[in-house]
Amino acid sequence: MNRRRLLLAAGGIGLTGASAWTLRNDFDDDGLPMQVEALDAPGSAAGEVRVPAADTVTVVDLFATWCAPCKRQMDELATVHQRYGEDVAMISVTNERIGGSLSRDDVREWWRRHDGAWTVGLDQDSDLMAALGASELPFLAVVEADGEVRWKDGNVTDAARLEREIDRALGGT
Amino acid sequence: MDRREYLRTATAVGFAGSVAGCAGLLDSNPNVTLDEPDREFDSEDLPYPAWGEQVPDVSLADPLTGETFHVRDADDPSVLTFFYSHCNSVCPVLISTVRDVHTHALNEGYADEVVFLPVTFDPERDDEERLRAYADEMNVDADADNWHFLRPDSEAEAEQVVEEQFGVMFERTEPEDMDMYMFNHASLTFLVNADGYVERAYRTESPDETEIISDLETVRE
Repeated sequence: MNRRRLLLAAGGIGLTGASAWTLRNDFDDDGLPMQVEALDAPGSAAGEVRVPAADTVTVVDLFATWCAPCKRQMDELATVHQRYGEDVAMISVTNERIGGSLSRDDVREWWRRHDGAWTVGLDQDSDLMAALGASELPFLAVVEADGEVRWKDGNVTDAARLEREIDRALGGT
Repeated sequence: MDRREYLRTATAVGFAGSVAGCAGLLDSNPNVTLDEPDREFDSEDLPYPAWGEQVPDVSLADPLTGETFHVRDADDPSVLTFFYSHCNSVCPVLISTVRDVHTHALNEGYADEVVFLPVTFDPERDDEERLRAYADEMNVDADADNWHFLRPDSEAEAEQVVEEQFGVMFERTEPEDMDMYMFNHASLTFLVNADGYVERAYRTESPDETEIISDLETVRE
């Protein structure tokens, strides 16, 4: 490739669907564990929570209220939540900044409407998103109690796949 | 190089740009506040308006107010990005990032010191009604004085302004599994200062809002 063509080409990086892992990949998992603001909502109590939980494997779900596929992800998460109960911690977090036309109540309303029944929190400065290197939504991670990320993936993950990853993390293999 | 070849080439070098830049004597510019970004190319060699260059001299309509917006004469720093509302992968991330920076400005009391200019390259579908619905869906406070969706009047103007002037390539596609057209497109978000010079061109699908907020703070000072 000649110089001019390379230069032209470089201006166009980030074409749809090409490289989902662009700049955010610079981050590593060092940011975990971290504190996240949890909301008072079904299955969730207001306050600061540690992500991951200190005593078990945690499923982290990154979502946004505008994200249509995130609704489908909620159904899969509900299945997983029912199966594991308290044995696995689960938290869904939106990185949307509260303000303007979005309130905490709007997030609670979204949570109720999609049958959330576990901890839901806010990541207003996208710290958790950065720590996980997520650049698309929904985004899921299975994290051990010490903060080690055992598995992570963008896009909708079905319950069976997520359960396999949880079992691997629980089994310590 | 024709368009198709361009798109193919662009995909192939998706990770160009992470190499350290050649810092030299020319890394200051009287028209901008931010330092030259760490990169391997000079602004003049890039197909889009880059650090230290003037933003294109274009006017576009804000379909929500009916006003015409002259991009170079914004009087305040501006954040521009390019999208189409039927996009379901990259654009929602771009728009939500810009939306979060906008909300930061509203929350922190500097909303009157910055304007947000998301430009659609799909004027055929992105009319006033559609953009209002999209703002609602994306939790954008589009009634705020400093948020202006901008819309070229025609497809021809979209190509002329978005592709030729801003260097944001887009190409219509007809996905087999969908009953509507979509676009392949580049992802570019610009931070422009009050004098109309580009301070930063964020060439990524997922711009870091913390970085934009921090850069914007420096430019506002």
